[in-house]
Amino acid sequence: MKKIELKKADSPTRKSFSERMLQRAARDKEFVVFESDIGYSTYSYLFGDKYPDRYFNMGIAEIGTMAAAAGMAADGRNVIVSGYGVFLTMRAVEVVRSFICYPKLNVKILSSHGGLTAAIDGVTHQASEDIAFMSTLPDMRVLVPCDKASAKAAFDIAMAAPGPVFTRLMRDPLWDIYPDDEEFVLGGSKVLTKGSHITIASYGDMVFQALEAAKLLEKKGIQAEVMDMYSVKPFDEKTLLRSIRKTGALLVVENHQRRNGLGYALGTFCLKNNPVPFDNLGLDDTFGESGDYFKVIDKYGISARAIASAAAKLLKKKKA
Amino acid sequence: MAANSTPKTFDERVAFLKEKAKEVRFQIVDMIHAAQSGHPGGSLSAADIVTALYFDIMKVDPKKPRDPDRDRFVLSKGHACPVWYANLALRGFFPMGELKTLRRFESMLQGHPVSTKTPGVDATTGSLGIGFGQAVGMALEGKMLKKNYKVYAVLGDGELQEGIVWEAAGSANKFGLDNLVAVVDNNGLQNDGFSKDIMPMEPIDKKFEAFGWTVKRIQGHKMEEVLAALDQAKAHRGKPFCIVANTVKGRGVSFMENVRGWHGKPPSDEEYAKATAEIREGLK
Repeated sequence: MKKIELKKADSPTRKSFSERMLQRAARDKEFVVFESDIGYSTYSYLFGDKYPDRYFNMGIAEIGTMAAAAGMAADGRNVIVSGYGVFLTMRAVEVVRSFICYPKLNVKILSSHGGLTAAIDGVTHQASEDIAFMSTLPDMRVLVPCDKASAKAAFDIAMAAPGPVFTRLMRDPLWDIYPDDEEFVLGGSKVLTKGSHITIASYGDMVFQALEAAKLLEKKGIQAEVMDMYSVKPFDEKTLLRSIRKTGALLVVENHQRRNGLGYALGTFCLKNNPVPFDNLGLDDTFGESGDYFKVIDKYGISARAIASAAAKLLKKKKA
Repeated sequence: MAANSTPKTFDERVAFLKEKAKEVRFQIVDMIHAAQSGHPGGSLSAADIVTALYFDIMKVDPKKPRDPDRDRFVLSKGHACPVWYANLALRGFFPMGELKTLRRFESMLQGHPVSTKTPGVDATTGSLGIGFGQAVGMALEGKMLKKNYKVYAVLGDGELQEGIVWEAAGSANKFGLDNLVAVVDNNGLQNDGFSKDIMPMEPIDKKFEAFGWTVKRIQGHKMEEVLAALDQAKAHRGKPFCIVANTVKGRGVSFMENVRGWHGKPPSDEEYAKATAEIREGLK
């Protein structure tokens, strides 16, 4: 088993995604980018500065931006819409639903400030329900990369997949775990640590907390199998099934509401296919708040400490 | 009524507010420096307007922050909340010491304003345009209950790009909300650049006029003009009133003035020292 090394990241996933956009623009001359006045935050300005003719800054107007993107994608063009998760997935949700997903348009949503990763900005800027909104929509695919290599890969997957794709990104740099040439596919996952006692499935920033939790569990003699479900929809059913058949327990951890996130999707999947003791961590029917990221995720029960404790508790439900 | 109870001439009111605005500017820079996060530019541009509202125009009582008869204030450009928090603290809605907890874990002063956490915050805002829509509802409630309070909403000029602003402007006209006053902090800058380049909204005054509002354009850092316009708005009857206040983003700190980069960036220690020294000298 390869050892997972956490390297302090020097750039957030929002930046890596936009860097890949810039890189790809030279050979892929078709796609255009819509921004609603936070290009210096999402880093879409990197593309805009180099390709002003393919960059449309629509001002602070997310609903109009999303509708214009739909119009420009109507004949098949790949159109990227860049912005903050709350505004793109909630304010503009009807446009995404009825006028992008329904006609299956090639609109690729670059969505920053996912979950409580934008902790300091407060609730109005924390997209803690974005996965629920987006994964509920027919034909929408949902990706959540956790580091630089997976963020760049997410851009490539989104551009290659026909139809709408939503990518959740983070405000702040955390860690890098994947080598630059690591391969990612739509519907794929990564088994980061092999374990026989419990499967811990997570995505985005929670991957790092899950890995940390696995270390804490190891000290208690518990071998956790940590999975990075970077493709939240569709998710990797085959690998998940193989893992839970082996470990016999599943804990899902997400920086999102517990309701209607990946936890609900995987829990339902388990019930239908291979019932095992199950739990899911996330915001428990509550909003977050401003403050330091690590303090906030600890308070809301999604830090490594909380994951390890929930995993140990869950194991007690397993029949010997 | 003003914080000081003695009746004052117009000139005395202006002189008093000019001094208060200095304190407000100092607190804005001080709390954002302490937090090492926040939005100084748009807080400073709105400082004279919000100070005039809290220290002269509005009827509010820090001891009764939920008084049903109070005037309402909605900072629709919620990211500029340091200017709101500074005014609320200086008026005594909560202890001054709280200001240094801005954006910190478990603080009453969230990154964007939250009505359930901060005494005196009448509306949760931070998603542009929606505060203005709420202000319309507060004004409707005032009409329905036959209250005499006014609702004051401060918007950014970039914020006018949100479609909901014009939905709200239209409904204020339809329902004859002469208890609603909108002040546009027209600083001409937004996150990605100059508003005229990102998405031009001028002529703002003509747009509001076309929506049925009475409009007055002023220089938003001349306290005489700010106070006179607000006096007029307060007495105005028949139509909703809009003040288009031409302002300078970052006003009061020379190196922040009219510079895009100071939308959402905290000052370093060195910049903080320079900024506070300039604020103490006062606006030129």
